[in-house]
Amino acid sequence: MDDLRKYAAELLEKGEVAAVIGYQQVSEKRTKPIIAKTAEDCAKLVFNEYCLNNLAVYLTKARVKELRRVNGAVLKLAITAKPCDVHGIVALIQESQLKREDVTIISFNCAGVVKDFGMDFNGETLATKCVPCDTHKPLYSDMVFGEEKETPKVSDEVLAKIESIEKMSAAERFEYFKAEFDKCIKCYACRAACPLCYCQRCITDKTIPRWVESSAHSRGNFSWNVVRAFHLSGRCIGCGECERACPMDIPLSLLNRKMVIEAKEAYSYISGRSLETPTLVGSFDVKDSDELFM
Amino acid sequence: MEEKIISKEDLLNLCKDVIGNGHTLITPGKTEYTVVKDTSEIVLDTTAKPTKASYKTFVFPKAEPVIYYKRGKNDVQLLDVEVEQKKTVILGAKPCDTNSFNILRHLFNWDYKDEFYNVREKQFIVIGLMCNFSDNFCFCTSVGSSPVSDKGADIFLVPLDENNYTLRVVTEKGGEFIKDYSKYLNAGDEAKTKAVTDTVKHPEIAFDSKQVHEWLGTNFENPKWDGVGDLCLSCAQCAFVCPVCHCFDIVDEDYNYTEGRRMKNWDGCQFGHFTLHASGHNPRDIQGKRYRQRVNHKFKYYVDKFGEILCTGCGRCSRGCAVSIDIKEIVSNCKD
Repeated sequence: MDDLRKYAAELLEKGEVAAVIGYQQVSEKRTKPIIAKTAEDCAKLVFNEYCLNNLAVYLTKARVKELRRVNGAVLKLAITAKPCDVHGIVALIQESQLKREDVTIISFNCAGVVKDFGMDFNGETLATKCVPCDTHKPLYSDMVFGEEKETPKVSDEVLAKIESIEKMSAAERFEYFKAEFDKCIKCYACRAACPLCYCQRCITDKTIPRWVESSAHSRGNFSWNVVRAFHLSGRCIGCGECERACPMDIPLSLLNRKMVIEAKEAYSYISGRSLETPTLVGSFDVKDSDELFM
Repeated sequence: MEEKIISKEDLLNLCKDVIGNGHTLITPGKTEYTVVKDTSEIVLDTTAKPTKASYKTFVFPKAEPVIYYKRGKNDVQLLDVEVEQKKTVILGAKPCDTNSFNILRHLFNWDYKDEFYNVREKQFIVIGLMCNFSDNFCFCTSVGSSPVSDKGADIFLVPLDENNYTLRVVTEKGGEFIKDYSKYLNAGDEAKTKAVTDTVKHPEIAFDSKQVHEWLGTNFENPKWDGVGDLCLSCAQCAFVCPVCHCFDIVDEDYNYTEGRRMKNWDGCQFGHFTLHASGHNPRDIQGKRYRQRVNHKFKYYVDKFGEILCTGCGRCSRGCAVSIDIKEIVSNCKD
């Protein structure tokens, strides 16, 4: 941990970065984000299996971007990121929301995190996003900390659930998702926690005309959750923050994971894996399968 | 106030009768308070974490039509919405939830008597349950409640032993309700109840709400509000899971060119567009100003207007916050 703190403090001291977006411990089994602007703040930085947030979400926030302006100069931002969070940063760069040279990525070798704060870290409490994870080392980074450790092996319940839903009839599937979406209260925590939901003005906030009904009834909830799944198709990096943020326990990862699988099968594409690859929705090849075109 | 004893078995029998009488029975579920279809679903656990969502949706639904309309050639016809007359019984509400109606009632009866709220609240019977849960986010004791408080409950339960509960009738409404079920009740023992409630661990008092109120009155422009804003992601999780947050938006939903309905939907003050004016001006343009509003509304404005703190100390907003913003910590920091 000292390495991380020292490195972060040095970045600030050298005037390379304006702030370090990281995690701080708030209790034994809970962390929260911190935007470290001083060496004192850097002394609070941690990395462990309770670093659940995907901090890439902050990189597109106007207030955080403003922090880069220091005494007339525009500095970089540093961010501590798990290898999966790096996918989010890469996706933002792919989508021209960020430049690689504007961000210093401090990453870690990662063996997974817990499902929720307060839990002991073991196989059973491994976050569902970590179960199928194949990136335990960051694909892109400016500095890597931490030992390589073995990830607990756990059965992939989300995949099993997706497969069981695929076997349902269309009517059964509709009923299943209707029951789940009916729980939605339209707090938009899913949108807020998502690093790729960076639109300044979301389609749900548009009122003339109103594309998505703001009421949290079946129709309004279907509109919102389906629109969001579509907007993230081929873009979702699978960090699972939407599901973790949802106060109503809606299994959003079922939708998002399914879309990731579809994009991979149809176009051999996974979002956020390569800075050299154009985005799936932003590129076209005549050889592309048109099976999924609407 | 009258204390009785009811066995666990008879409490379930009472629940069966409540459902049998056609009333709606609600109890804490995994995520939210849910309607009980079968009494086997009922789990009364004083050590359970508060559900992620409160039960306000049963008196103040997340989305409800308030009027239906039909446009004619030269006029508009309006059709009123009748609120369903149905008794609803909440069983096992935590003390931090039971007090919510006492707080909400003021708002919905201030400049306009909100029939939708009032009709529902009148039909509600709140059966509270002593609480033995406490985590870093609980602060009921800082806002004038406690894990053994029966404030706001019509009836209050205290587990005496493996098989028995003390059933305390707190309000007249509770007394009226329990009359129909008196066959299940035995004589109470206040000393025994006290012996149990005395063992309950109370969350530490985190702040003095009077001092917070005073500080807020002179620190509207304090730079402390800035730091809060940088981390908040501007969703409405905190407002929507809150038992007493009550902001709503009115929107018209057209079915077709001539017919539609007017909806009353939950709204949240942390949304960036909550205060966005049609002119494009936004008086709460940054998150710090929005969180300042949240704290001021709860600990200053509502107190000034209605004499109640707009907070029950349940800690749901903080426990569920995606970025762990802790209202207890922020309010505790409202001092020089």
